[in-house]
Amino acid sequence: MFSTVLSACITGIDSNLVCVEADVSNGMPMFEMVGYLSGEVKEAKERVRAAIRNSGISMPPKRITVNLSPADLRKAGSLFDLPIAAALLAALDIIDKENLKETLIVGELSLNGEIRPVKGVLPMAMAVDSYQCRRFVLPKANAKEAAVINGIEVIGVETLKEFIQFMKNQIQIDKEAINIEEIFFNYTNEFKIDFSEVNGQILAKRAIEIASAGLHNILLIGPPGSGKTMLAKRIPTILPPISIPESLEITKICSISGNLNQEFPLISNRPFRNPHHTITKTALIGGSAAIKPGEVSLSHRGVLFLDELPEFNRAVLESIRQPLEDRAVNISRATASYRFPSDFMLVAAMNPCACGYYPDLNKCHCSENQVQRYLNRISGPLLDRIDLCVELGQMKYEEMLPRNENESSKVIQERVIKAHKIQERRYQKSDIFFNSDLTGTQIAKYCKLSKEIQKYIETVFDKMDISARVYHRILKVARTIADLEGAENIEKIHISEAICFKTLDKKYWKR
Amino acid sequence: MTEEESWFWICSIQGLYRNKIKNLIQYYHSPKNVYSMSDSQIKKISLLTEKEKNSIIVSKHPGELKIKFDKLKEANIEFISCMSSKFPRKLAEIPDAPCCLYVKGKIPEEKPSVAIIGARNCSNYGKEIAIEYAKELAANGVQIISGLARGIDSYGHEGALTANGQTFAVLGCGVNICYPKENYPLYVNILKSGGVISEYPMNTQPRSMLFPERNRIISGLADIIIVVEARHRSGSLITSDLALEQGKDIFAVPGRITDSLSSGCNRLISQGAAIVNSPKEIMDELGVKYVQNKKLLKKCNNLLERKENMVYSCLDLQPKSLEEILSNVDLKNSEIMVTLVDLELKGLIKETSKNYYVRINIENHK
Repeated sequence: MFSTVLSACITGIDSNLVCVEADVSNGMPMFEMVGYLSGEVKEAKERVRAAIRNSGISMPPKRITVNLSPADLRKAGSLFDLPIAAALLAALDIIDKENLKETLIVGELSLNGEIRPVKGVLPMAMAVDSYQCRRFVLPKANAKEAAVINGIEVIGVETLKEFIQFMKNQIQIDKEAINIEEIFFNYTNEFKIDFSEVNGQILAKRAIEIASAGLHNILLIGPPGSGKTMLAKRIPTILPPISIPESLEITKICSISGNLNQEFPLISNRPFRNPHHTITKTALIGGSAAIKPGEVSLSHRGVLFLDELPEFNRAVLESIRQPLEDRAVNISRATASYRFPSDFMLVAAMNPCACGYYPDLNKCHCSENQVQRYLNRISGPLLDRIDLCVELGQMKYEEMLPRNENESSKVIQERVIKAHKIQERRYQKSDIFFNSDLTGTQIAKYCKLSKEIQKYIETVFDKMDISARVYHRILKVARTIADLEGAENIEKIHISEAICFKTLDKKYWKR
Repeated sequence: MTEEESWFWICSIQGLYRNKIKNLIQYYHSPKNVYSMSDSQIKKISLLTEKEKNSIIVSKHPGELKIKFDKLKEANIEFISCMSSKFPRKLAEIPDAPCCLYVKGKIPEEKPSVAIIGARNCSNYGKEIAIEYAKELAANGVQIISGLARGIDSYGHEGALTANGQTFAVLGCGVNICYPKENYPLYVNILKSGGVISEYPMNTQPRSMLFPERNRIISGLADIIIVVEARHRSGSLITSDLALEQGKDIFAVPGRITDSLSSGCNRLISQGAAIVNSPKEIMDELGVKYVQNKKLLKKCNNLLERKENMVYSCLDLQPKSLEEILSNVDLKNSEIMVTLVDLELKGLIKETSKNYYVRINIENHK
C-alpha cells in the first residue's frame, strides 16, 4: 500500500517541489523516515502519529516507511507534518488517493491534530502552477497569504480531522479568495508618522529629499538627540508608494522569514529596517544553516537604517558593500548557493566623534587623534558608496515646540515622485532606474554640462582638491537636484548644493 | 679634558639629577674636580646616595665618554653647558636654570623672542590667532619659541615658518626624538632656520613628568609669553605661572566667556595679564619697530558682491553650521550654498568639518 503527496520546501527565496511517499507493509511495527531530513523533519513522525490518533483514527501496527524526494535536497522546516500525515492516511486507504492528485499540501501538526501556520507560503503559491497543481491545501492561518496569487484553489484547513473529512468529500471548504487591489490600496500609505512632526533641521530634510529622489545612499552626522533616527524613520513616507509587483517581491521575502501579518497578507508599505549595531554578518547579509534572508534583503525596496555606524563590527559593515553594488546578495554554502534581492536605500547615522559633540569644543574634549580614530572605523570603500552626507545641528528649545508650518510627507512625496518619473523617462532605454545607479560613462552621457558649468566644476576640482570619485558623486547628486526642480540641464546652483552635501573626505575633519 | 667635556660627563651620568649636580658644583666648583677624584674619595661624598656614587664611578670608565660624545656628533647635536659662552643669558638668569642644553640646529640669539603657547586641543579661532601672530612677529625678526606639541604650539611654529622667520622648539624628550610623531615635517622645517632644544640627553623618551619642566625653558628663552587658548586647568597656565616667577610679561588672547577653551586666558587677564590686541602692541612692548609686511597680508577682497558680503559677514572665526547660516542670511537656501562655494573657491572661507564654515583670514576680520 503506497501513496504519494506533493509538497514543497523553501530553498533560498524560491520553493522546490518535494514528493512525500508513504508505504505501509506487514512486518515489525515501526515508523521509518528517509530522504536527507533535518532534525525538525525527523521529529515529524511523533507529531504525525499523535495527531492521527487524536483525530480519532487508530494506527495499525504495521511497518511504515516515509520517503521525501528528491533525496539529494536537504529538507528543513515543520511544513512536512501535514503531507506526511496525508500520505500515510492515503496509504492506509483512509482517504482517497485520487483526491490527492494535483494538490500541494503543507502544514505543521500539533499533537491534538490542529494545523499550525508555516513560513514561506507565498513563494510556494507562486510555484503551484509550475508543479502542475491546481489546489493548494495549507493551514487556515496562511490561507490569505497564498490567496494573493490568482488562478489557484487555496484551501485553508484548521484541524487534521477537517482535512480528512475534506479529502473524503464529506465536507466542503470554500476556497480562500481575497481582493488584492482592495487590500493593497486600503492599507497603502497608512503611516503613523509624518515629516511634519520634525521641527527644524531644514538642511537634513533637504538632503533626505534629494537622497529619496535619486535613491542615493545618505549619511547623517550629528550629536546625540539631534533627530537622526527620527528623520530616517520617516524616509519611507516620502518614497513613492510601492506597486503590486514590488509588493509581491517584498511579501515573498517576508513570507520566508515568517514575519508577515496574517490579516493583511500583502505588504503595502516600503520596509524600514533598523538593525542594532551588534548585528552579525549572517543576520545582516543572510545565511545561517537554514539560509534565511538577512536585513539587506528584508529592506529590499525600502530603507536600511544603520544607526551608530562606527559601532558596527568592521567586517560586518564591509559585507554590505557587495549587496550595495549588485542590488542582490549571493550566499554560497557547501550545499548550494542562493540569490536574494537586496535593492535598498542605505541610510547611515553617526556621531561626529566618540563623545558626540565634536565641533562644539565646549562640550567635546576629544583630541584630534581620537576624532580621527573614530572616523577611521568606517572604511573608505564603504564611504565611496554613500553619495550624500549632511550634518545635523543640536536642537534648540524653541525648535522643539510643536509647529504647524512643517511640510507634510505628502507634499515632499509629490516632489519625489515627480523626480522619479523624470528619471524613469530618461533611463527608459538603459538598464538603470535612478541617478544613483549612474556609472562613470553614463554620467558623461546623462549629466551634460554647459561650457560655463564645466569651467566652474574645473575650478572646484582644483581648488577643493576632490577625488575623481567625489567628483562623480557630486555630478550624480546634482543631476537629482536638477530633476527635483524639473530642470533639463545641470546648473551652477545644483552643483554647488551637491558640493555642500558631498561625502566627507577624511581631510575635512582635520582642524 | 676640556671644561665643556667635563660638563658633558657630569650631565650625562645616569640617575644624577639637576639639583645634585648643582650641589656638587657648589661644593667642588667644577665638574673637572669631581672627575679627578678617586673612587674612594667619591665614596666619601656625603650628599650623594650610594646609587649615585656608583653611577659616577661607573661613568668614569675610560672610553665611555668618548663613545657618548661621538654619538652626539654623529647625530649633529651640540652640547652647551651653563658655563659656556653660548648658553643663552636669558635662560641662565631664571630660577632653577638647566645645567646644560642639547641643541639640534641653532640656539636662540640675544634678540627679542616671544613664546606662543596654548591648548593642544584648540579651536579654529586659536589656530588662526596663533598662526597670524607668529607670522607677523617672525616677519619682524622676533624669534618664536614653543614646544612642538599638537595644537597651538605647532601652529605657532608653522606661522613663523611661513614668514621665513626663526622658530625654536623646546622638547620634553631627547632632541633626536620627534614627539608627537605626526609633527615630523614641522620638526624638519624648524631645523632649517631655527633649532630644537632640550635639557635632556639624546634618546630620552618623552615622559609626562618632563613636560612641565621643559615649560620653564620655553618661558625662560622668551621675553614675552602669549597664551592663545587654555582651558580652566591647563599646562599653559603652569607655564605662565613659571613665566611670572621668571619676571616675564604675559599676554593672553581674550575669548568669549562662554568658550571653555578661553576660560584659562580670560582668568589670566583678570589676574593682570596683558590683552593681546594687535601684533604692534606686542612689538612695542618688545621695543621693536613694527613694519606691516604687505606681502604677508592676503589680498583683502573689498570687492565682494552683495550676496557674497551677506554670507561672508555672517561668518567669523568660530565654525558656524550651514543650518545656522541658512537661518541667519536672508537669501534663498540654494543661493546661500552657491555663495558659500564661491567664497570657498576664492579662499576666503573654509569648511572645517562637515557643514561647518569659518573665515580664513584674520585681516579681513578687522
